Amino acid sequence: MWRLLRADRVSKDFQKAEGGIVEVLREVSFQVERGSLFTLLGPTGCGKSTILNIVAGFEQSTSGQILYDDTPITTPGKDRAVIFQDVSNALFPWLNARENVEFGLKIAGLDRADRSQRSEHYLRLVGLSEDHGKFPFELSGGMKQRVQIARALANDPDVLLADEPFAALDAITKKHIQVEFRRIWQETAKTILYITHDIMEALLLGTHLAVMTAGPRAGIKKIFKLDLKEPRSHANPDFVEIYSRVEALIDEEVRRMREQ
Amino acid sequence: MIVWSRARILVSSIGIILLWWLGSHTIFNPKLVPPPIVVAISFWKMIATGEIWVHIGVSLRRVLIGYLLGIVTAVPIGVAMGRSKIVENLLGPPLQFMRNITPLAIIPFAVNAFTVGEASKYFIIWYGSVITIILNTATGVSLTPQIRIRAAQCLGASPRDIFFRIVMPSAWPFILTGLRVALGFCFMGVVAAEMVAAENGIGFLIMQSRNMLLPEQMFIGIFMLGLVGLITDRLFHVSIRRLMRRYMIMIEQD
Repeated sequence: MWRLLRADRVSKDFQKAEGGIVEVLREVSFQVERGSLFTLLGPTGCGKSTILNIVAGFEQSTSGQILYDDTPITTPGKDRAVIFQDVSNALFPWLNARENVEFGLKIAGLDRADRSQRSEHYLRLVGLSEDHGKFPFELSGGMKQRVQIARALANDPDVLLADEPFAALDAITKKHIQVEFRRIWQETAKTILYITHDIMEALLLGTHLAVMTAGPRAGIKKIFKLDLKEPRSHANPDFVEIYSRVEALIDEEVRRMREQ
Repeated sequence: MIVWSRARILVSSIGIILLWWLGSHTIFNPKLVPPPIVVAISFWKMIATGEIWVHIGVSLRRVLIGYLLGIVTAVPIGVAMGRSKIVENLLGPPLQFMRNITPLAIIPFAVNAFTVGEASKYFIIWYGSVITIILNTATGVSLTPQIRIRAAQCLGASPRDIFFRIVMPSAWPFILTGLRVALGFCFMGVVAAEMVAAENGIGFLIMQSRNMLLPEQMFIGIFMLGLVGLITDRLFHVSIRRLMRRYMIMIEQD
């Protein structure tokens, strides 16, 4: 196993509207190995989405860099597909599920037969074979996120960047889709950087878990390698132990943030 | 889409005709405000002689030419405004300033600039449509959700792809709404246009009815203006729903 993504002392400042500067990220470093599912866990507002945006190439770091296969990232590219949290705007509303999945393929110039073969495959993978002709407004939140996953995978990226993709879903849908997401990751063997503020989710999905400190000037507090026995649930003593350790770290950060 | 009840249309139509008839015989002078029956007879004569179709045809042609000129000039300007802060700063204030100036107010300018021929009429109708189309297009183009653009970027879209496959489709509902409103404005504009040295057209029919002592013609003109405007608006609406349905879904469903 070797690293695919490396964040090397990444800092990010934002210009405040009323003047002055907020230091959002302060020297964030971590490495993501090829084929791993690296979860980045932190309290709300700690800048974890900013890290994802820099990795995606949507935003630039103020100092430090993200290396992808040892090349610094500066622009968005199809090697890094993003699954967005925003359920209502991430899909293209004038395209049906199949056309959404084929968007990147069409741009890449694939012919119709190749496109439909791939979109069928990935829609089946996310369990939406029957709904390929539906438009986004006809799909539930969970279904929309499945289309997003299929759309990202159909383009065959090296890395999936997931920005709290299930945070806006109801608890029952969320639980189902998390299990399926893990299955999809296992089947496709993609490298995934997964942002979340949900400890349970991070522990269910990840091969690695990085806990962030509270912002501003957020950084990485601790990185765990999750070699957990199955099942990953509260029935497993390993799981319970690591859950409480992570929870304690997060609580510490939330308390620190309140005291500021 | 609004679904109208036929029975209610009938009731309101009869009501209006009744009020008109009463008004004509009580508070107004029936020689100047003729009752419905007189207008109906005169209308029938104009249909029989074919005169009415000439007026309608001429006005429709003027509206269409002015409107099409409006579309081809205003949509690109609106797109430029929506895409560029500089263009928006340059054109936004003058357009907001002109927005309240009715086509009626620019008649003298149109005549001085384009003489009394057809060109001045096209200009007046064009003027009536462009501001609405520009502003709607600019709004639609500038409101493209950033996340849609980002989603396309990480699927391999080039700036050109982003413009044609994301920005324009996102703006269509706004542009089409602007085009529909502007079409209505063109029918307002055609009356203004035909106030100057016109020899035919629905606007001419209305404006000249007093001078020619044919007051029933103003009612015929007003009625035709409303009817033709309504029919073209419906046609526009229906064809958009047919042809551009996938883009209109966005605003109709949310």
